[in-house]
Amino acid sequence: MAVIETSGLSRSFGNTVAVEDLNLKIEQGEVLGFLGPNGAGKTTTIRMLAGIIAPTRGQATVAGFRTDRDVEQLHQVIGLLTEVPGFYHRLSAKRNLEFFGGFYSVRDVPAQADRYLRLMGLWERRHDKVSTFSKGMRQRLALARALLHEPQILLLDEPTAGLDPEAAKDVREFIRSLSQQGRTIFLSTHNLAEAEAICHRVALVRRQMLAVDSPENLRRRLFQRQMVVKMDSVNESIVAAVKKLDYVRTAYIDGARLIIELSDFEKNRPNLIERIVLAGGRIQEVSETEHTMEDIYLTLVHEEAKGTSADKKD
Amino acid sequence: MKRRHIINIIKKEWADTLSTWNTRLLISLLPLLIVGEALLIIYLVVRFAGEAILMSAVVQSALEKLEVISPAMASLPATEKLQVLLFSQIHIYLLLIPTMIAITFATFSIIEEKQSGSLEPLLATPVRTDELFMGKALAGSIPALIVTWVCAGLSLLGVFYLGSARILDIVVTSSWFISVFVLVPAVTLLSFLLGVIVSSRVNDPRNAQTISLLIILPVFALIAVQIIGVLVLTPWLFLVIALVVGVIDVVVLRTGVRLFQRESIIVQWR
Repeated sequence: MAVIETSGLSRSFGNTVAVEDLNLKIEQGEVLGFLGPNGAGKTTTIRMLAGIIAPTRGQATVAGFRTDRDVEQLHQVIGLLTEVPGFYHRLSAKRNLEFFGGFYSVRDVPAQADRYLRLMGLWERRHDKVSTFSKGMRQRLALARALLHEPQILLLDEPTAGLDPEAAKDVREFIRSLSQQGRTIFLSTHNLAEAEAICHRVALVRRQMLAVDSPENLRRRLFQRQMVVKMDSVNESIVAAVKKLDYVRTAYIDGARLIIELSDFEKNRPNLIERIVLAGGRIQEVSETEHTMEDIYLTLVHEEAKGTSADKKD
Repeated sequence: MKRRHIINIIKKEWADTLSTWNTRLLISLLPLLIVGEALLIIYLVVRFAGEAILMSAVVQSALEKLEVISPAMASLPATEKLQVLLFSQIHIYLLLIPTMIAITFATFSIIEEKQSGSLEPLLATPVRTDELFMGKALAGSIPALIVTWVCAGLSLLGVFYLGSARILDIVVTSSWFISVFVLVPAVTLLSFLLGVIVSSRVNDPRNAQTISLLIILPVFALIAVQIIGVLVLTPWLFLVIALVVGVIDVVVLRTGVRLFQRESIIVQWR
């Protein structure tokens, strides 16, 4: 069952279209990475899902609540991590959490605040003013705030933006642990590697939805699998021998490597290796071309620019 | 409106705004200065310019009107009559205290939230706009009211020591009680509600304070009409004014909630 569902969700600011025709379904317990560059409409989408701003067209439901209509009920069931952590800097970390927690139906707010302060490694600093906190600590505190009322749906806007690698790693690991608890997470980020590491599926957006699928499926959809054969040396006779095979689509030399695109990859790979050896190739290593999320993203953006995005093809 | 939410906001505002010494000093010193200044001016005026002022036709007319509602004045010597006239203005003058405090603090209430980025996570909680407004307005109104009442007590001490027990008896009328315990709370809440509304509508605290200065104008007008004798405020008139301000409080709260566009505040704030 979809916990988050959008249908034709769109938002304009004057003549500027920030989000256009967004259709999305996120299942219970799923982590969806919402990827896009700055200005792609990520924050606007999160704000619409959180019921903070209304769509100009289309609609969204979160946990069965319409985000433009059932705002009070919606806010009881979601946890939002805003792009800017936003705290009362003259107050302590604990007092901040107790204040925000005071609006939810939490039985023992101080105890719950203590629990998350410990969980986030902020226990020792709980009585310190937030103004004395580092950016990473504020981000962890903001995560604690988003979780105080134990929401099953989390909307996280750039949770690792601006953090040093160690702090970013801590936050990522924590998000992963939340996912293991079965919480549904909508994670907006422009960090492609992060999305791949944490998310079950990624939605690539640039104002419109470019594609949504698991990183692996996107790779399959966008790129043919390529075999990379590293040899002592590659010559044209080996290339010619390989190209004669009917299942080989293309083959080319890249330094000391032979790059081959073939159909029915798993089935034909052993035979292909045998043919290379027979053609005199001295193989050092056989691998497969790695396509990163960045490759996927850039390909999709390029296709969108040509008006032939992968989703439109479908 | 959920009382729990309003109390939560009030407690936070007190812990946050009143956590600095300069804020505490300003809240306590400003009212003391206002009352102290009023008493000092009255003392100096009566001592050094009393006779000259009593010759004024405007003052004579004001005294005659005041005698109608305070017949006990008739037996007083002229200088003491003047003291009664001037001391009778203090409880109206007290209205300046909550309005000044509101201008200083309420105008920052939403702007500061915008600046620190805390408004967006706050608006993502189940708090309602009317709860937010009421919480913020009451958080300022309650200490402002307490300080104003303390100042009212101090002003009576001033009347007793600078005037006499007889003058004190005449000054402390039902008008005084209605003014201090009905009109002052209504005006206090109104000042803070207006301050919070202005704070939600502008992005610059200086603009907010400039606009909020307008809140003081009706208070000055009330002092002016009373002191020049255009209008002598009877207990009934005080009650009517207090009730009207009370109704305005409700209207302002509702209007403020409607004017508080969560969306534009979040989107337009940079």
